[in-house]
Amino acid sequence: MAMEPFLSIFQTFIFPGFLFFIGLAFFFEWLDRKFYADMQSRVGPLYTGPRGILQPIADFIKLMIKEDLTPKYADKKIFNSVPVIMCALMLTAITLMPVMGNAGIISFSGDIVLAITAMTFFCILVFLAGFSSVSRYSAIGAERAVLQLLGFEIPLMLSIVGVCIASGSVEIAGIVSWQGSNLWNIAGPQLLGFIIFLVAAQAELERIPFDIPEAEQEIVAGWVTEYSGRKLAIIRLSRNLELVFISALAVALYLGGPYGPLVAGAEAFLLPLYFVLKMFLVLAVLVTVRAVFARVRIDQMVSFAWRYLIPLSLLQILITVLWRAL
Amino acid sequence: MSGSVNSGYERLFDIPIGPQHPALKEPALITLKVEGEHVVGVGLDVSYNHRGIEKAAEYRTYVQNLYLIERICGICNVAHTLTFTQCVEGVQLKDAPERAKMLRVLVEELARIHSHLLWLGVAAHEIGFDTFFMYIWLDREVSLDLMEAFTGNRITSAYNIIGGVRRDLTPEITAKIRKGMDRLEERAKFYRKIVETEKTVISRTQSIGILPPEDAIRLSAVGPTLRASGIKIDARADDPYAAHASVPFNVITCDGCDSFSRILVRIDEIVESINIIRYCLEHLPSGPIINRLPRRVPAGEFISRVEAPRGELMHYLRSDGSDKPYRYKVKTPTISNLPSLVHMLSSKGRYVVNIADVPVILASIDPCFSCTARLEKNIGTYGKS
Repeated sequence: MAMEPFLSIFQTFIFPGFLFFIGLAFFFEWLDRKFYADMQSRVGPLYTGPRGILQPIADFIKLMIKEDLTPKYADKKIFNSVPVIMCALMLTAITLMPVMGNAGIISFSGDIVLAITAMTFFCILVFLAGFSSVSRYSAIGAERAVLQLLGFEIPLMLSIVGVCIASGSVEIAGIVSWQGSNLWNIAGPQLLGFIIFLVAAQAELERIPFDIPEAEQEIVAGWVTEYSGRKLAIIRLSRNLELVFISALAVALYLGGPYGPLVAGAEAFLLPLYFVLKMFLVLAVLVTVRAVFARVRIDQMVSFAWRYLIPLSLLQILITVLWRAL
Repeated sequence: MSGSVNSGYERLFDIPIGPQHPALKEPALITLKVEGEHVVGVGLDVSYNHRGIEKAAEYRTYVQNLYLIERICGICNVAHTLTFTQCVEGVQLKDAPERAKMLRVLVEELARIHSHLLWLGVAAHEIGFDTFFMYIWLDREVSLDLMEAFTGNRITSAYNIIGGVRRDLTPEITAKIRKGMDRLEERAKFYRKIVETEKTVISRTQSIGILPPEDAIRLSAVGPTLRASGIKIDARADDPYAAHASVPFNVITCDGCDSFSRILVRIDEIVESINIIRYCLEHLPSGPIINRLPRRVPAGEFISRVEAPRGELMHYLRSDGSDKPYRYKVKTPTISNLPSLVHMLSSKGRYVVNIADVPVILASIDPCFSCTARLEKNIGTYGKS
């Protein structure tokens, strides 16, 4: 019993807690850049560490020691606190992810709602960041971020609702264990939901074709324009954490969580391995989508979401309900 | 905080694009007056990089000027030297040998291919299609390698000299160019297929930056911008220079009048240039490649037109019998296209221009602002002055 608090601390801070996820966030950035570069016949990060694997960490350290500027007319309280809140929000949400088994470090009935809320809050923080910068580019970026939220949030939620109906649970642990004893969600009628989830995730993550709030060629860096130094480093880290979080959520909801062919005695090693491997799969899909499209315009994005994504996600819920009834 | 909503709240504000901005590779200031996402006014200031090349040309001899004129524009350097040498030869009433003329066409078309590929990549980048951008720029290396093998330099080739060209074509390089042309033709067709089928590209460029034919003529647009409005004007066909009179080719036009058709026109021009190069390699006359001309040029004046990759380029030379020009005047294609650009951007009452469309429209004229800095005044419907 004396081990209990230590185990809990170990789980929260080391594995599968903050340290693991932050390390994974850096690794994901490297993987993202490397894979993206590969698709564009470039080499990507190459020199820092073996095959450039330490490049994201080097970038992080470099940004940490750079000069940190705050615009003169910025709303300083909001401007300075947004990066920290963003990072804390993502680290909190990520503890829900069931890396080791059915449940994450934190698990309670209705935790899926917290996961959805975290994603919405992230967008609100983006808006606050852009709005408090008092810069023209940031203001336009913030405006676009909120418009984009109106487009992708409802399909994202509806696709998750479909999963909840299919597995009859609003708890991530329940959804994962249901998939453990039945089919993975992706094999059932949730395949459509999975596709909608990935499209909406691309918008949530602000990646091409939906990187509209920070369209470089139009509004410089959008809502991040005025951030520099440490704050920018933390924002970049939170966005990588968000990438990890969304891939993990996709794995937990659709790809059967950490389950896979198991060898007796090696579960503690195999379960996280399967989970991370499945996350790579989701990342591969996300990067491919990023590589093969051009950026759409904000009005095109919103009308695409309302014309196609939302009706499709409603249809998917209908199919799920009928499938459950049969 | 008074708590009341001010009904006179100004929703309009300015977005400066430039003089330093990720969408622009050169210094220019485009001030957009926006209302939300919609552009309602535009001001344009291109006078950030006035280099005084025309004046500098008056202090240099013709041979020195060759290298000065070449540096007006990095990408269209072949077109600039070609126009300059034609001016100097024209005043002397002499001509380059036939073989040199054909080689000039060859190098000009090679430069056109690499300029159009560069532009195509930039256009893809402006709509956020970075994979396409990287693909195109990798293939552009093919044309640059050919340029290097042929002329000795990748970009600033210094190939055209007064009275002829600097290097002859060897059989090995001929074979290399043939091989490179096959590869580029295949790639150009692949790009055309992508542009025509990729939904996001179409939705970002179709019906954006509309320039009707009558406006294109009224605002004296040139080059692919003009030809994408369906008007068949090309200096190579209308006023054949070098060996263009003996090289058959099609003037590419497109009736779309929008950014999308400007992409198509340029891709088709790449294919057409490839055919011209193949024809030149087949029908290259034998003979000398240079006519040595005297360093002093008799008094006189001459205007020379060349179809540069960006459009019609015009040089004017007035000589006074010395070895230096008395007056030299350059009209680059971008300056001719600027009124059209402003017309496309200030759309009041015709159609909606979003902020997101501005880089697309800007890129669609293939601007080169450093060659253009001639003005001290803003132009546009809205601006500082």
